[in-house]
Amino acid sequence: MSGTPKIFATGAGVISPIGAGVDEFAERLYAGCRGAGPSPLLGGDAVACEIRDFTPQQWLGNKGIRVLDRSARLLAVASQMTLSATGLVQPETGEGDPGLGLVCGTMFGSVHSITSFDWSGLTDGPRYVNPMEFPNTVINSPAGQAAIKFKLRGVNSTISAGLISGLYAVHYASEFLIFGRATALLAGGVEELCEESYLGLRKTEALSPRGEGEPFGKERDGVVAGEAAALLMLEAESRVRERGVRPIAQIAGFGTAQDAYKINGYRVRGTGAREAMEQALEAAGIGADAVGCVISGASGSRAGDEMEALSLEALFGARLEGIPVAAPKAAWGECLGASGALSVLAGVLSLERQAVPPTAGFRETPFPLRLSAAPQPFESDYALVTACSCDGGSAALVLKRVR
Amino acid sequence: MRRVAITGLGLVTPIGAGRATFWKNVTAGTNGIAPVQSFDTSEFPVHLGAEVRGFDPAPFIQSRPAESMGRGSQLAIAAARLAVQDSGVDLAAYNRRRVGVLMGTTSGEPGMVERYNDIRKAEGLDAVPGEMMPKYPCHVIPANVAIEFDLRGPCLMIPTACAAGNYAIGYAFDLIRSGRADLMLAGGADPFSRITYMGFARLGAIAPEKCQPFDRNRKGMVPGEGAAILVLEPLDDAQARGATIYAEVLGYGVSCDSHHMTAAHPQGDGAIRAMAMALDQSGRTIEDVGYVSAHGTGTPTNDRVEALALRTLFGDRAPRVPMSSIKSMIGHTMGAASAIEAVACSMALHTGVIPPTINFQEPDPDSDLDYVPNTAREAHPQVVLNNAYAFGGNNSSLCLARPV
Repeated sequence: MSGTPKIFATGAGVISPIGAGVDEFAERLYAGCRGAGPSPLLGGDAVACEIRDFTPQQWLGNKGIRVLDRSARLLAVASQMTLSATGLVQPETGEGDPGLGLVCGTMFGSVHSITSFDWSGLTDGPRYVNPMEFPNTVINSPAGQAAIKFKLRGVNSTISAGLISGLYAVHYASEFLIFGRATALLAGGVEELCEESYLGLRKTEALSPRGEGEPFGKERDGVVAGEAAALLMLEAESRVRERGVRPIAQIAGFGTAQDAYKINGYRVRGTGAREAMEQALEAAGIGADAVGCVISGASGSRAGDEMEALSLEALFGARLEGIPVAAPKAAWGECLGASGALSVLAGVLSLERQAVPPTAGFRETPFPLRLSAAPQPFESDYALVTACSCDGGSAALVLKRVR
Repeated sequence: MRRVAITGLGLVTPIGAGRATFWKNVTAGTNGIAPVQSFDTSEFPVHLGAEVRGFDPAPFIQSRPAESMGRGSQLAIAAARLAVQDSGVDLAAYNRRRVGVLMGTTSGEPGMVERYNDIRKAEGLDAVPGEMMPKYPCHVIPANVAIEFDLRGPCLMIPTACAAGNYAIGYAFDLIRSGRADLMLAGGADPFSRITYMGFARLGAIAPEKCQPFDRNRKGMVPGEGAAILVLEPLDDAQARGATIYAEVLGYGVSCDSHHMTAAHPQGDGAIRAMAMALDQSGRTIEDVGYVSAHGTGTPTNDRVEALALRTLFGDRAPRVPMSSIKSMIGHTMGAASAIEAVACSMALHTGVIPPTINFQEPDPDSDLDYVPNTAREAHPQVVLNNAYAFGGNNSSLCLARPV
């Protein structure tokens, strides 16, 4: 939209299978680290991108941790990091800024908490369920818990759109700032690993039998399940100036479309993904020729990656082979509702460093895409971040470098 | 910015499906609450629920077998079909990329979790099918609606619990007024769930005999189920096609108490801020408001705080603003509640009649306001507020007006 306030990211927080905190995350992402391995949480011979030895106390202290489930803990850690990084931790005394809020993308919420609560009623009887665990059965519980912990009194929204949730949340939050319903918003996503969602992925044959996600790879055979929480702090231009802070990137444009095809399958020759990308470019006021790099949501899914590759080809044409593309799910796996937020953070880092991160373990692709197992430099002010979901939803976001 | 009209109302509720039946029953004070039938409550201390009895999804769902999806999606598609029919829009005339669907929910498809556990208990974990992936995540509800009607624009679930319907309608309003969509189906859906029932029962929050919001002797809420979809479009388009315009969306406000996961802020801080933001965004003041659709669950605390919030914001005017709770009739339909209540608000603006709070016998001296007791009233409001509050401390207020 022209004539509307510019929205900037002024800081970030992340906890992921490849590292915690933006610095560690960036260092390991660019070093080509991969988060996949045996998963103590899932047990058996499960391979996943798990956040191993997760100790939230390291960031949150001991107070009030017990009532938080894994999703809420991950989100709280990312919130704490982002608030600290932007100097917006609310004082212990006083009420807190009513314009400070949170928009959280998630696909499953804590389906483990919900299932456990039901299981307890089923096996012990409904009179014996723990009432303290009931609040964790609402899908927006992680966002609500974070609001209580950090005095976030503004909008507290949860966004669910499958694998595009995290990207959508960043846009939704931007809109709330534009419409004047908030002054500063944490925006991103969270997803936890748990046996319930893992079983769903396994039984629908979405997982790579080899336990190796190879986004866009010739031999790709499925995804590796992952977990993470990632947030950006978003603020409008006027407030950024007023606070005298240096933004890390501008949220320049967003697009979304639905293929309305199947609930669990990609329409490989669908036009939704391309449409979403075109909308995002138009919203950013640029043409495809201005895009310097692509941070792709490709995950190792045979159909999903092909659909995305065809969409990129349709959008960029012959120029595609010259544009560095990164598919960082090679590093952190399929983090479902958190994926988009992680990708946005990778986009921010790419613009800062003028190099896209490696697609870790990349060997060979059947598509005309410039992928590499090493970082790839570029010179441009614009990054295109994409996400496609197996329910037909696609989204794209344009980030602009802040000099 | 474009003005946004509500031109189609579709819903499935414990007191009937479809705009006309619902409105006839809700203004007649029909009770939709009865002993729960969908699961055994013998081990529970309470037994009341507000179920949609005898719901047959098959006539509403044309794209796939109804069994291929959960009850939340079935209710949502039924509501959507009724809404599209009611609006008289010809979907074929639209660029599908500019038609979308936005839903709210508390639990999405909890039936999938219940089935997961039932099978796990009976046959072991290995026997559990993979439907947790394609049928459970709450965004499948709008995605199923999108497939049914071939809607290719924005498709999103906003699971902000019991305030979710307002969030969805509000964001659909944003999409249309800013020009990014030309037609939106927006609302909420929640199926009856033993998980929800068990939780509220354990909290001691379910009424043992009847739901009587704002009454001095109120003893709790009653969990319910349902779905509602509203058709939103630019006011200019609605006028051009000669549509019935039930109401205009003026704006909305949201806030978070950041106080407690299940209990409202004792002074109604967030509720007050949400109403104030809704009025401010709508360019209206408390003087304009002719009706408030209360969250009004029937629990002692919720209703007290809600009355206090109205009193604080509206001051001396509070006792002169009618505020009713249709949850007295249809129970608390969770994420569908504020969407169903938005339908009631639209019809109140359209017909001039305000639905009552039934089972109201004795005023509460602590919270003595005008709750439209027991009988619908002709009041011809011009501007209404639809309030909804939720777990997580979420508050939402949607401001609708009679189109002029």
